[in-house]
Order: sequence, then structure tokens, then C-alpha cells
Amino acid sequence: MVSRALGRGGLMAILVAYTAFAGFPFLWVGTMSLRTTTEIAYNHYGWPSPAHWAKFRAAWIDSAFNTYFTNSATVVIGSVAVITLVGAAAAHCLARYRFRGNRLVYFILFSSIILPPQIVLIAVYQTLVEYNLYDTLWGLGLVYVSLQLPLTIYLLEGFFARIPQDLFDAAKVDGYGDFEIFFRLVLPVGMPAIATTVILNFILLWNEFLFAVVLISDDELRTLPVGIQRFMGDHFQDIGMIATGVMISVLPVIVVYAFFSEKLIQGMTAGAVK
Amino acid sequence: MPGQVASGPSAWRRLFQPGTGGDTSGASWLVLLLFLGPALLVFGAMIAYPMARTIYDSFFTIDDPDKPVWIGLANYVTLAGDETFRRAVLNTLIWSVAAPVLDVGVGLLLALCLFAKVPFTRFLRIAWFTPVLLSYVVVAIVWLWLYNYDWGIVNVMFRAVGLGGLASAWLGNPHLALGSLIFIDVWKWAGFNMVVCLAAIHSLPSEVLEAAELDNCGWGGKLRFVIVPLLRPTLLNLYILAFVAKMKVFDLVWIMTQGGPLWSTETVSTYVYKRAFAWNTFDLGYPATIASVWFGVVIVTVLLLNRLLRSRERVEF
Repeated sequence: MVSRALGRGGLMAILVAYTAFAGFPFLWVGTMSLRTTTEIAYNHYGWPSPAHWAKFRAAWIDSAFNTYFTNSATVVIGSVAVITLVGAAAAHCLARYRFRGNRLVYFILFSSIILPPQIVLIAVYQTLVEYNLYDTLWGLGLVYVSLQLPLTIYLLEGFFARIPQDLFDAAKVDGYGDFEIFFRLVLPVGMPAIATTVILNFILLWNEFLFAVVLISDDELRTLPVGIQRFMGDHFQDIGMIATGVMISVLPVIVVYAFFSEKLIQGMTAGAVK
Repeated sequence: MPGQVASGPSAWRRLFQPGTGGDTSGASWLVLLLFLGPALLVFGAMIAYPMARTIYDSFFTIDDPDKPVWIGLANYVTLAGDETFRRAVLNTLIWSVAAPVLDVGVGLLLALCLFAKVPFTRFLRIAWFTPVLLSYVVVAIVWLWLYNYDWGIVNVMFRAVGLGGLASAWLGNPHLALGSLIFIDVWKWAGFNMVVCLAAIHSLPSEVLEAAELDNCGWGGKLRFVIVPLLRPTLLNLYILAFVAKMKVFDLVWIMTQGGPLWSTETVSTYVYKRAFAWNTFDLGYPATIASVWFGVVIVTVLLLNRLLRSRERVEF
């Protein structure tokens, strides 16, 4: 009995300790985002009182975080929309139609998920320079589409293939053509899976750094991850303002997480769960 | 699963069959083209072509993008004697072998804690998953501060409990830097593995766990003889997935240490980036060679890992 209670107590201690470990860094940045650098230098672990909410305004306008935010939102929303439509069409085609080479196309797309990004990085840079797409959001968006398309097709194909064939037969009897079937049957029925890939792609691209740092050099076009990194390079000592910038960049993700935590977790782990 | 590659003769034969879709009427090529065309176009232009071009580039010196100079295998010869590259490969391999074991191991233990019917399971699961959502840039900045020598929480805590001697320059010491980075990696990804493991544990047949309970099997025994063997496919999957992801690691290293100190955290990704875009060497041919060689290493490793792990599985079951 005693050992059982001890075991229970130990387990609870582990739970509390790990929760602190996982959550502390983020909460700490949260407090620092509301304190001035002078206050932070005096005590790094103090509570923000008074809370300097004006710092968010300062970071947003004076430190150009509004530009970075808009750029990130534009390129991520644009590419996620394209990925979803193009990916769903391809996934439907691979899941539903029989044709020679179907599995070969699937295998090639699927294998490219494991490619290290360096193998395309240098040539993508060269190609975008040649087509005047280097240092444009269009070029970055195009690259983002190619980065996430294989995984999206892979996930959606798995789901679309499980839609019962009866539904398709019924739709054909009703006189649906190939494209009506796709838009009026596959997309609505596949919505849960599509939502999952949208979430996954949104988060991964919102956080993307390597291609953003290589393909964008104009400060006006930087996305949030690169913007913060450069800001930190220029204002290494200004911890308070960096923390505010960090909070601005994670805020959309955290807000979505607060409301749709289950869907988000499901989306992020979609590639790993059988 | 990403990372699982079809293998064996039957799998190869299956590739050349027309697929398992239900539509046997044979749709027109136009319809197929409209559905599949855009994806193939993106794949061809942004993945296949750049891949081929990088490999092609590796045989040139490209100081001036308009005038590549053919140098045959010279880049490969240089690479074979490149100490920094060797160091980068070693660091990346250490990272990709060690970090996934810790990621998956910690994730499994956390999942077991939550499975032991504790209160607030839902809250804990959501809280522990949070680091997964943060970008590497954010994670890197926060941990730069947490590792700060003077006021970072790690050293502050060591000093508070009288172990001030253990306080270190975590990123400045060549012996500690790689381990410190891997620690962050585990912090970020344990929650991800926890969620997947927890889902897998919940889907285990409850009779098996109850039978183990009846046999008076302790927690250790249950873990070793029931849960881990049954979860084996999930754990292997998570391992391969993490392994492949670690072979690409760039953001964290680039922002925190830029490969230093003394190349102790140099990875293949950071080295390629340095040679291509950060050093004033103005040559895209050599980094293309590094990328091509690494591409080969990744493919071979994934195939080997897949073959090795799967054949062991086949023997045991």
C-alpha cells in the first residue's frame, strides 16, 4: 500500500516536472515580451508588472514585424491553397483511376518525401535567379508548394482510397462527370483529411527557414522566421524586443491551438500514425 | 509511411501494375492529365529537375553562373579529403542515431505516464505537445537564452542547488555543444512521439493487458513483454521518421552555433549552406557535390535501415 502511494507520488512528481520543463521556456518568453530590456536585465525571471503592452505596437510598426507577418501570411496561405487543390486532384486520380504507371507515379512521389532539401537547394536557387523569381514571394511560394506536395498527396491518397466505391457508382448513375465527382463528392467527403493536411502544411510552412533565408534577400520581403533571425542579429542585446517579436510570430499558431488543439495534434502527427 | 520504402521483388512488380483504384472503365487520358498534370509539373520542375541539375553541377566549378567550368571528378576528390565534411557527416550521424532513440524513448515513457490513469490527461497531452508547434527559429532563440552562462535557467538552477561547478558555457564548449543541441531537439520532439505512442497504446487489445495484469505482471514486465513488442511497428516507424528528419537538420544549428565552436556542431546541411551562400568562395559546384554525396548517403541509409529493421521484425514474429 505504501509503495503504491509512493509510486503514485513519484508519478505525479514526474508529470509536474515534465510539464514545467515543456512549458516553462515558452511562458518565460511570454513574460519577457511584456517587459522592457532594462527590467529584464535587472531580473530575468520577474513577473511583468506593469505589463508593457505597447511593446507589441512598437515591434509591429517600428521594427517591421507587420511586414514580415504579412509576407508570411501571403506566401503560406497562397501555397497551402495551391498545395491542397493540386494535391487533392492528384491524390484522387491515384486513388480512384486504374491506369498503367499509377503505382509507379505514386512510388516516385512518395519516395521524394525522404529527400534531403540540399539536393534541390542550390539548383532551385540557380533556376529562380534565371527566371527572375529569386527574391520574390512568387518564387518562394512555388518552392513551398513543391516542398509539401508529396506528403500531401501521400496522406490524401490513403484517405481517398478508403472512400467506398458505392458512392462513386451512385454518383455516376446520377450522371456526374469526372470533375463533378471530384468537386461535389471527393472534396466534401474528404474534408476531414483535407483539413488535416491544411493544418500540417500551414504550420510547417509558417515555420520554414532554410529556403526563406536562401531565396529572399530583400528586407521588405522577408518572412517571419528570417525577419526574427535578422532582427536578433542586429539587436542582439535587446532581449525584450526580440521576445515580443517571437510572440508575434507564434501567436497565430497558439490562437489556433487554443481552439482546435485536437485537430492540430492530429494534423501534425498525420504522417506518423498508421 | 514516409520513410518506409517498398522493397522486395513483389513490391517492384506491383509498381508496374495499374493500381488498385475502383474505376475499371479506363478514364480518358485527358481527364487523368488534368487531375495529375499540375502535380507532375510541380514535381518535375521543382524536384526532379533541380535534383538532376545539382548532380550535374557537381562536376563543375561555378564561380560565374554563366560560365561553369567542367572539372570532372575533381570536386569529389577534394571532398574525399575534406576534414570539415568528415566532421559534419560524423556530427550528423551522431545526431540522427542518438536523437531519435531519445525522442522516441522519452515519448514512450510520457505516453505510459498518461496511460496510467492520471488526472488532467487531456491538459497534459496538449501542454506537452506545444514545443512541436514552435518554429526552430523561436526554439533556438529561447534556448540561446536558457543556456546563457550568466543568467540562463540551466546555470541558475545548478548554482541554486550548490552545483555551481557544473554551470557551463553549454554552446561555447566544443565538448558540450553537440549534446546541448540534441537535448533541445529531444525537448522539441518528445511530445510528438508521446502523442503517437499514446494513440498506439490505446489501440492495443485490452484483453492482452488484462491478461498480463492477471498474471501479476509488474509494470516493468508489462512494458518489456507486452507493450513494447506490440508497439514495435509504431516505434520503428517513429524511429525511421525521426532519423530521416535529423539528417536534414539545419535551422537549429545555424541560428544557435553556426556549426561552431571548432566545427563541433557542424552538420552537412550547415556546411552546404556555408559553402554555397555564406562563405565568399563564390562556387556552387563544390556544395552541389556535397549535396549529391549526402543524397546518396541518405538513400542508402534509409534502404538499409528499412531492410534491417523489417527483416528483424519478420524473424521475431
